[in-house]
Amino acid sequence: MKKEDKPFAFRGKYIFLTVFILYVILFLVGNEKVMQALQKSGGILMKILPILVVVILLTALFNYFLRPKQIAKHLGHESGYKAWMWSLTAGVVSHGPMYAWYPLLEDLRGHGMRDGLIAVFFASRTIKIPLLPIMIDYFGWVFTLILTLYVLISAIIQGLLLELFDT
Amino acid sequence: MEQKQKKKSIQRPLFRKILMKSGLAFLSMAPLLLGVIGLVGLFQVLVTPRMLASLFRDNPLFDTLIGTLSGAAGTGNPMVSYVIGGEMLGQGVSLYAVSALILSWVTLGFIQLPAEVEVFGGRFTLYRNLLAFFFTMLIAVLTTLTVQALL
Repeated sequence: MKKEDKPFAFRGKYIFLTVFILYVILFLVGNEKVMQALQKSGGILMKILPILVVVILLTALFNYFLRPKQIAKHLGHESGYKAWMWSLTAGVVSHGPMYAWYPLLEDLRGHGMRDGLIAVFFASRTIKIPLLPIMIDYFGWVFTLILTLYVLISAIIQGLLLELFDT
Repeated sequence: MEQKQKKKSIQRPLFRKILMKSGLAFLSMAPLLLGVIGLVGLFQVLVTPRMLASLFRDNPLFDTLIGTLSGAAGTGNPMVSYVIGGEMLGQGVSLYAVSALILSWVTLGFIQLPAEVEVFGGRFTLYRNLLAFFFTMLIAVLTTLTVQALL
């Protein structure tokens, strides 16, 4: 049986409405920082727009080249250690805020990606290769190396534990 | 052969169509993302690095906990957390707190919690965040102890 497509509906309407009301209230009570916050938010949106475009493209490419069965095979419950390594690597190389990756991960999860891999992806995001020189400059290479090592090991443990608790 | 190719082209939908579907899926999340971005902007203006640094005492366990919580409340590029962490170290705040702040800055976020619940469900969000919270504290302590032992 062919899977029916979900009808289009906006999500997070209440979150948006709550934030909107918060801004209006702050504006009405005369908080000067509202305009600054709006400018900051606009700046953030502009900064993450390219990342969102990449996420949309990646989602489309995954759906085009990989059938749901293949995604389930590579990232699902039957997947092996390679899936954990891929997830770890993806977390390290992914840019931008965590929420920018929600649409892609939700899509992959809908096709059978296991929850442990999503947890690994999120946990390994502390390590950012382009930012490593800056981290070394601020805290030294010993700190950076040890932190990186612990983060990578703990990301895998978190993924495994999440699956253990969430079954 | 020709029949095989024809069958293949029938099975695989057009990329344009799939791209449009992905675009629509993203568009449906627009209010969610805009809400989170609006909150991030508000927090960046209202919560200053100086406010965060003033929370710490000279107790490793308490500082690790406060570092984790302030990192979870903080938002923005991870580099911002390095700058705040560097300033904190300069002001005499312990490495426990700084490590915890850097870690939780990226992996935990009070602001994006409602969005995470909406997308992944309450159960997943609860387990993931509890694990991230526990491991942030653990890694902060382990990193500091290892660095102190090595240097």
